[in-house]
Amino acid sequence: MNAFIDARSVPAGTILEPDLAIVGGGPAGITLALALAHSPIRIALFESGGLDFDQATQALYSGSTTGVRYLPLDASRMRYLGGSTNHWGGWCRPLDSIDFEKRDWVRHSGWPFGIEELKPHFKRAQTLVEGGPWIYDDATPEMAALAPLLKLGDGGVYTSWFQFSKTRDGVLPTHFGQRYADDLKRIPNLKTYLHANVVGINASSNATSVETLDVATLSGRRFAVRPRLTVLALGAVENARLLLASNRVASAGLGNENDLVGRFFADHPIPRDTATLVCFAGEMAGYYFNAAQVGGALIRATFAPTEDFKRSNKVLGSLTTVENAVEMSELDKAAVVTAALAVGADASNAKAYSVGCGLELEPDPERRLMLTGERDALGMQRLRLINRVSDSDFQRYRDTMKELGRQLLAAGSGMIRLNYKTRAEWEGALDWGDHHLGTTRMHDDPRQGVVDADLRVHGMSNLFVAGSGTFPTYSASNPTMNLIALTLRLAQHLKGMMR
Amino acid sequence: MSEKSISRRAVAIGGGVAVALGLGAIGITVPYLLPHKYRSSPYDDLFAQLIDRDAAVKVGNAAMDNGTARPAIADLGRELRQRFERRTLAEVINSDLAQGKLSEVKGWVLPETLTLLCVLAAEES
Repeated sequence: MNAFIDARSVPAGTILEPDLAIVGGGPAGITLALALAHSPIRIALFESGGLDFDQATQALYSGSTTGVRYLPLDASRMRYLGGSTNHWGGWCRPLDSIDFEKRDWVRHSGWPFGIEELKPHFKRAQTLVEGGPWIYDDATPEMAALAPLLKLGDGGVYTSWFQFSKTRDGVLPTHFGQRYADDLKRIPNLKTYLHANVVGINASSNATSVETLDVATLSGRRFAVRPRLTVLALGAVENARLLLASNRVASAGLGNENDLVGRFFADHPIPRDTATLVCFAGEMAGYYFNAAQVGGALIRATFAPTEDFKRSNKVLGSLTTVENAVEMSELDKAAVVTAALAVGADASNAKAYSVGCGLELEPDPERRLMLTGERDALGMQRLRLINRVSDSDFQRYRDTMKELGRQLLAAGSGMIRLNYKTRAEWEGALDWGDHHLGTTRMHDDPRQGVVDADLRVHGMSNLFVAGSGTFPTYSASNPTMNLIALTLRLAQHLKGMMR
Repeated sequence: MSEKSISRRAVAIGGGVAVALGLGAIGITVPYLLPHKYRSSPYDDLFAQLIDRDAAVKVGNAAMDNGTARPAIADLGRELRQRFERRTLAEVINSDLAQGKLSEVKGWVLPETLTLLCVLAAEES
């Protein structure tokens, strides 16, 4: 076994010369290392943190935010081995095929490839997140056998299914650092450096290749890495920060000739109590509220717009979940009685439930990260996030929920109350998924993307970016399992390159 | 009358109380077991389709609270008569749902015709 190396003990001035430098030990970095295990590629993985949370290391993430309320930048991610899987909820759902398409109603949409490119990697990704067998939307018959589904009339919303990363002691999903530490140590061609912060990328004089990486520790130690290839796997926020801050040769930062690095930041807004769903029959199956164990998988129901509905109504993705029972006012009861009687339903046992959701945002170049004049303990410039959500992002979700309400009435099974209409109401209920996306977006055209379809930074021969920061559009699906699949595809590409 | 016998009136009252308690447990129907008496209206034939007119009136009042312009009663009645011509409430509602003709009353997504009927019921209450 290769013990992890404490970077604070690496002699100052050392120059490491691996074939591949993986910068970041989160889900993408660990996945890449595991995928390249036992290959002839000599890998060095650099993780800023150690094996546990450390406040001084976490504080390197601090930054500021303006615009729509957002979590502090040091609270929405985790900086130690395993990265943000250390506070992951474990929700998994694959991207939909429409997510990859260029859609005329979604500005800046279109991946450079279709879902077929990721499909070969989904099962391995599912194994790595310990999500059990790949069931997802094939779960319907089994779940219906477990307890009745809430009937929906024909239309634009259907019952879809989340799966969950394996829970440990009933609470925690797979934390990649804890789970794969021993596996990393067993990889003969890998050296893992902890407490190793890559604070700069030194490019060749024409900024077409990476020459060296500067590594710093909070104890003051500095050394360098001269890799053949470098993959940034720091998460969408920090990947952008490192590229922007690496500006000795290219003044705007690396990969940023077209002023795209840091733009198109996204997350999934998770507004709470967006609607009240009434089930005329009263009780809903437990799998609407909590994950149920079926066939070795943990599965929970969600309502999602169909691809046809997305096209015909020009909406984006959303995943709506039923959360908890709520009381009804006298007006609520009157509305329920009136509607139920009108559709011939018996509402004498009706119950109301609060629903929440995760929304897909339309890509927005002005929702962005920028460097500020402030510096962290290692001298790196801190970030400011300018956060925005458009009115149409909220309205599109509202349209989807209205369709769900229509389908419930058509089926005689229930109805919906939409709880928010004004922007202030939406913003007041807003929470976020901590799903950082889009800051180093993928596009074949360097004027529209930071990385190409192989995740190589445009204009750079040996610099790659992994993670959900490369997603050009975001889906409503949770990114972790999907970014792992994309990283496995990158691993395949790198193996080919270095053969 | 023996002590074990129970009058028809007592049974009726007892049954009514039991239903009220049962429905009261879910908190929905109790207020509607004792409907108001409504004055005669030229639209009583339309209101006859509302099984629970009290509830409909509440919804109608809420719809008018939405701030939208109130249609003239005669216009509303004429419109509804057209929609209901030789059709039942269920048929009209199903048609609304199939066509996506929906309205919102304090956020509740309702078939448009049902909302209009509730508004008329509120206006005429």
